[in-house]
Parts: sequence; C-alpha cells; structure tokens
Amino acid sequence: MTLSYILGRIISAIPTILLLTFMVFISIHLVPGNVIDIMMGTQNYLSEEQVQELTAELGLDQPIIVQYFKWLKGLFTFDLGTSLRTGEPVSQMIADKFPITFELALMSIIFSLLIGIPFGLISSVKQNTPWDYSFRVLGLVGLSAPVFWIGAIFIVLISGTFTNYTLFGFVPFLKEPLKNLQIMLIPAITLGIMIAAQIMRMTRNSMLDVLSQDYVKVAKAKGLKGSKVIFKHALRNGMIPVVTTAGIQLGYLIGGTIVVESMFAIPGMGRMLLDAVNQRNYPVVQGVVAFIGIMIVLLNILIDILYSIIDPRIKLTD
Amino acid sequence: MEIKKLIRKFCRNPLNIISFFLFIFILFTALFPSIIAPYDPLEMDYNAFMTGPDSQHWFGTDQFGRDILSRIVFGVQKSMQIAFLAILLASFAGTTLGLLAGYFGKWVDQIIMRIIDAMFAFPSIILALFIIALFGASVNNLIIALGIVYTPIFARTIRGSTISLKQQLYVLAGKALGKGDINIIIKEIIPNLGSILIVTFTTNFSTALLSEATLGFLGLGVPPPEPTLGGMIGSGSDYLMSAPWVALFPGLIIAVIVLSINIIGDGLRDTLDPRNIK
Repeated sequence: MTLSYILGRIISAIPTILLLTFMVFISIHLVPGNVIDIMMGTQNYLSEEQVQELTAELGLDQPIIVQYFKWLKGLFTFDLGTSLRTGEPVSQMIADKFPITFELALMSIIFSLLIGIPFGLISSVKQNTPWDYSFRVLGLVGLSAPVFWIGAIFIVLISGTFTNYTLFGFVPFLKEPLKNLQIMLIPAITLGIMIAAQIMRMTRNSMLDVLSQDYVKVAKAKGLKGSKVIFKHALRNGMIPVVTTAGIQLGYLIGGTIVVESMFAIPGMGRMLLDAVNQRNYPVVQGVVAFIGIMIVLLNILIDILYSIIDPRIKLTD
Repeated sequence: MEIKKLIRKFCRNPLNIISFFLFIFILFTALFPSIIAPYDPLEMDYNAFMTGPDSQHWFGTDQFGRDILSRIVFGVQKSMQIAFLAILLASFAGTTLGLLAGYFGKWVDQIIMRIIDAMFAFPSIILALFIIALFGASVNNLIIALGIVYTPIFARTIRGSTISLKQQLYVLAGKALGKGDINIIIKEIIPNLGSILIVTFTTNFSTALLSEATLGFLGLGVPPPEPTLGGMIGSGSDYLMSAPWVALFPGLIIAVIVLSINIIGDGLRDTLDPRNIK
C-alpha cells in the first residue's frame, strides 16, 4: 500500500518534471540572438563555414523537439553540457557546490524550527497575554524584513562588537568542521529568520485550532496535566500544517541562498547561479535552474510522505 | 454586508489604523516624491561623500555624495510602481487562467494546472532571475518577470474559489435557465471573487516588493543610476563597515513598507473572513 502510493506520487510528478524542464529549455531559445553568438561573445571571428560546423556539432540544426529530448537525456545521465567560461562539466559544478548550499539550507531549517515552534507554542498557550503580543509582533517583523537587510545588520553588529568572530572566509566542512559551522551559523540564521516567523505564525494558528477541539477539552477534563495535554495530545496534530509551511518554504530557502551566499561570500550553488546569470553562461543557468525545479518537485513528494508519518489518519492510498 | 460594518471591524485593531495611515503616507510619497525629497536623487554633493546622518542629510549620503533620503523617496516610487503593475498583471493573467480551469474543468483544467504546477516548482526569485537573465534588466522586463512569477498564485486561488462558486444554487439556476458560460462567469462568478482577490492582491503585493528589492540587491533590478531600494542596499553593502547607513536605511524603509502592508493584509483577511463575522 505504502509503496504503491509512493510510486504513484512519483509517476504523477513525471509530467510536471517534463513540463518544467521543457520550459527551462525552450526559454533559452527565446533569447534574442543565436546561441553561437552568445557563446562567442564579442569576439566572434568565425567564418560562415566554422559557424555552420559548430552549429552541427552542437546539434543546433536539428528540430527543437529533438534538441530538447537530447538535452533531457543528458539531464538524466548527468550530462548538462559544459560551462561556456571554464569548459568544466555543469553537472560536476553542481555536484561540487550543491552540498554547500544544502548545508546552509539545512542549518536554516533547523534554526527556524527551533525558534518557530516553541515561540508559536508559547504564543498559543498564552493567547492574548503580553507574551503572545510580543511574539506576534516579532513574527510580523521577521516576515517583513528583507533577508539582505537582516544580513547587513548582522555584519555591522557582529564585526562591530565581536571583532574576533570570523564572518567570512569559507572552509569546507570536511576540512575544518568547527570553523565551517561557525562561518555558516550567521548566514543560516539570516536566511532562517523569515521562515522562523512563518513557522511561528503557523504553529500558533494551528495550535489555537487544536486546543479548542473536544478531545483536548476531554483530556483536560480527565484531569491531565496541562503540559501533558499539550505535548501528548495537541502538539502532534498541531504540527501537521506546520510541516506544510516548512515544505512551502523550501523554495524560498533555495532562492534565499542566492542572496545569503553572495552576501557572506559562500561559494555555493546560489552564488554560482548568480555569477552564471551575470556572465550569460547559459548552460550553467539552464542546468542549475532545471536541477532546482526537479529537486523541489521531489522534495514535495518527500514532504507528502512525511505527513503520513506525523498523521497516521492520512492513509497512504491514492 | 455593509461597508460601514466592515470598516468598523477593521478599525477595531489600532495596529490596523496605524498601518493604514502609514501606508497612505507611503502612497503619497510614491505619487509625489518631489514634494517629500529634499534633494535631487541623482545630484552629487562633492563636499559630502559618505557623510553620516546630520541636519543637512538626514539619512547621510552615499559613495557619490547623493542624498540617501531623496534616493529612498524616489526608490520607493519605482519599487511600488513595479510591484503594483506586476501584481496587476499577475492578477489579470492568474484570474483568467484560474477562471478557465475552475469553470470548464476537464482537459482545460488539466492543461492549465499542469503548467501552473511546473511554474510552482521554481522558487519565485529563481524564476524571476531566470527571466531577467534571458531578457535583460529593465523596468518593463521586471514588471513582466514578476508578473509571470506571481501568476500561478492567483490562478490556483481563483480556480479553487471558482470550483466552489460554480456549484452554488444561483449559478446552477442560471445554467438551467439557459444562460451562456461567458454570461455566468462575468455576471455571477467574477463579482463574488472580490474579497479573495483583495486579500491575495495585498499579501502578494508585499512579497512582490521584497522580490523586486532582492533582484535590485543582486544587481538585476532597474539599472543604475536610477535609485531603487534593493539596488541601494546592494551597492551600499560594500561599505557596511565604513558607512553602514548607506545600506541600512533603505532596508529599514523596505521593512516598514512591507510590515505595514502585511498588517493591513492580516487585518483585511480577518475582516473579510466569513468565519469571523458574527
């Protein structure tokens, strides 16, 4: 039952993946000017014959749909072409940079859950008290402050007060784990504040709903301790919408890494994408954007599965 | 329901009133920047490079000696303009797609919603970045890019409402009387989408402002020297140590604008939510 549900979910994602990769592929062809001109940049001294040769070599003379399926085949065999600047395979570049971005995103999510859930919980249990009001205002502020502004404030504050703290100078985790975590901490918090605010608001709303349910009232009437009612009966059900929120925020998180990585000089995938956009390095842009799209579709499936673990009432049948 | 009642309900929260007047002031600033701004946003004061906030330049000056307050005021205008037109575009495109998908269902729904699903797979900022990367950064391209980015949200929301509206008795009655589909959509369905459109518009207007600022920060917004809030933070972050005001003031203003819109959005949602009406 479970397996067939998972399989069904994966199969239903196939048209979405095909469509999104097609959109990424076709958009590059909408760019004014042809790919050869873009590749050669301003130094296009090729003769007519050479241009034709290159066109044939790159398969640009074939119908667009044939080109798409060739590119798609490449996508699934991890052959995404090569960078126009360095000649390095795009898939290798993604493989090198993605772990860094993943670490950043993971640390942000952990931070936002650690802050968002307890704050939201306190807010709901102590509804309409000064605690609740201050957390709600904090939540709204967190939701409204742009991530690059929060980053700028952190940089000013930390380099001003803790002169010994190293903010910049990325080192890989495998090389110097502690230093890596120290350098990634502030960027991860910067990125996580907005999600923490979202999770806090969601936790509060959802817990308020759950706390007014009959089964919670019954549990209280039975004489159970307040904390037991909350942690044993209410929290698990209250967490369901929170998982959705965390899932929806994944996209924001991946987008946000672009900003945070370029602010804190972290050599991750987001910064690579930004550089590629600025250099008009289309194979890299195409590869990274398609990779992100597919990854998010797959992560959403994972979240659906996660639901059923939290909430056994959701049957894994399609 | 009467408008008066709704207004009274909205005003019950003092935060709503404060935000509303703050937003009116921001709107006024955006409409008439030259009244508020003390200087020309492009004028360079050669005697004041990166001077801190003082009585002459309230928010200080930037690396070219330009008055930051004046640049913020004109930046607010540009950002609001782009975000507003983008969301307007998105609400038109998204409402049309959502109505078609929700009302006609079947294959129309399938085709439209698969495309919307595929678009949802991209984080909004990456989709916008991608479109800007392809067509270049200009005011018009920014509006189109952000308009495309926010279309799926409207389409999905409107589709949901349309599906529930089309099962209402008065719509079914109209159908039974032989009214045409277009007639029903225009006369029966669209007028009932009002409150959901208002709420979706406000909540997404604030995120569009943030997206526009983010693109500006990344150097992919409105090209310089025209001031935009995101662009000011982007170029100011090179001087965070020596002149933090260059980047921090524009950021503060974005946060205040977005905060006021978010509070208004929350307030509107509470006001218009049928569950809250007693």
